[in-house]
Amino acid sequence: MRTTRHPARRSIPHAALALCALAALLGGTAAARAQDASSWREIETKYIFGFTTGSGIGLEGEKEFTVDSVGRFGKRDGHYAATETKYEFEFTPSQFVQIEFGALGSSHNIGGMTDLDGRNQAAFGGGFAEFRYLAVERTSNNPLSVTLAVEPTVRLIDETSGARVQNYEFETTVNADLELLKNRLYAGFNLLYEPEVTRTAIDGTLREATFGGSAALSVRLAPNLLIGGEVWYLRHYDSPTLSAFTGDALMAGPTLYVKFTSKMFMTAAWNAQLWGREVGNPLPLNLAEFQRHRARLKFAYEF
Amino acid sequence: MSAATMTMRILIPAAVGAIALLQPAWAEPAADVRVTYSHGQFQPGVVSAPVDKPVVIHVKNLDAKALEFESTSLRVEKVVAAQSEGIVNVRALKPGRYEFYDDFNDKARGALVVE
Repeated sequence: MRTTRHPARRSIPHAALALCALAALLGGTAAARAQDASSWREIETKYIFGFTTGSGIGLEGEKEFTVDSVGRFGKRDGHYAATETKYEFEFTPSQFVQIEFGALGSSHNIGGMTDLDGRNQAAFGGGFAEFRYLAVERTSNNPLSVTLAVEPTVRLIDETSGARVQNYEFETTVNADLELLKNRLYAGFNLLYEPEVTRTAIDGTLREATFGGSAALSVRLAPNLLIGGEVWYLRHYDSPTLSAFTGDALMAGPTLYVKFTSKMFMTAAWNAQLWGREVGNPLPLNLAEFQRHRARLKFAYEF
Repeated sequence: MSAATMTMRILIPAAVGAIALLQPAWAEPAADVRVTYSHGQFQPGVVSAPVDKPVVIHVKNLDAKALEFESTSLRVEKVVAAQSEGIVNVRALKPGRYEFYDDFNDKARGALVVE
C-alpha cells in the first residue's frame, strides 16, 4: 500500500552507486579472464542476480531452506526502515517444476513522517507459496533459459506502513537468463506483474498493481564468487488492470553471490532509486510507492 | 468474503496447476546409459544418448565410499552408496553436452553427449 503524496525535501540521485556497480563489474570481468573457467562446475543461476531472479529451478529431489530478508529504507521525511523476511522451504519435485512456501516476518521502524504513523514493531507478517515452471531450458547449444513463476502471498501486516491489514498479492514473473560466456558471464532479465488487494480498517478496500522489469549482469570471479549489477524499472497503478498510473521509479545497484560449500550459499544486493516520479508531484523520485534504498540478504542451505 | 475463502481461491488453482505439471513426461521407452565409478573417476568419462528420448543412467559405484551423482544441466542428483548401483531418470533431452560430477569429489567429472 503506498503512502499519500506530500511536498518534502529534495533528494540527491544516486548516480554514483551505479558507477560503482559498473566499475566493480568491469574490474571483475578483467580478474575473471585471468582464470580458466572451463574446469568450473556449471552454476545454478536463480540467485546470482540480486533482486532479479534467474531461471534456475534446482535439481530434482533437492530441498532447500532459506532465510531471505529484504529491507526498504528512506521516504520523503522522518526516518523509515522496514524489513520483510521469508522463512522459506523449497523443493524440486520434477526436472521442470519448483515449489516454495513459507512464512513472513516483518519489522517497521517509522518516525517523524507526515503520512505514516510512527511505530517500532516486529510481527508475524503472513505466508506465501511460489510455483516455478521451466519453460525454456539451457543446453550447450542454447544459452537462453526461461522460467515462469507465480507467487500468491497473504499479508497481515502492510509492507509499507506496518499497519494491520488483509493483503492478497499475486506476483507473476518471467525469469530469463543468458549464459554469455561459458561459466563466466551471465545476463538476467525479469518481467513482473504484481496485482494486489488490501483491506484496511480505515481506507476500506484498495486495489493496485506494480508492473515492470529488470536487467542484470553477473560475472563469476571464482568458482564460488559472483558479483554484478542490476537495474529495475517499476510502474505503479491504482488498478490491477494497469489503467490508473500513479508513478514509476528506476533503481540500480550491485549484487553479490557467494557459495560457501556445495550445499550452502548467500546472496546480497542493494538498489538505490536513481530516478522516479509521482503523478501530481513535481518533486524528484517516487517515494510514495517506492523507497530510496532497498537491500537484500539471503542465506540458503540445500539438503 | 472471508480472508480464508479468498486465500483458498488463490492457492487452490495454483496448486492444481502445479500438480498437473508434475506428471512424468517420459511415456516412451528410455535409453539406458551405464557409468561406473572407480578410484574416484567415472568410466567412461563421456557417454552418449539419443536426442528427444528419456534417459536412464545406471551409476555403479565400485568404490568403498558413497558418491553423489549430480548435474546442474541435467537437473538431477542421486547419492549412490558404496559398492552399489543407483538409477537416475532423466527427461528427453535436446542435442548438447550435459556435464555431471561427484558432489563429494571435485575431481570426478564426466559428460553425457546427446546427439
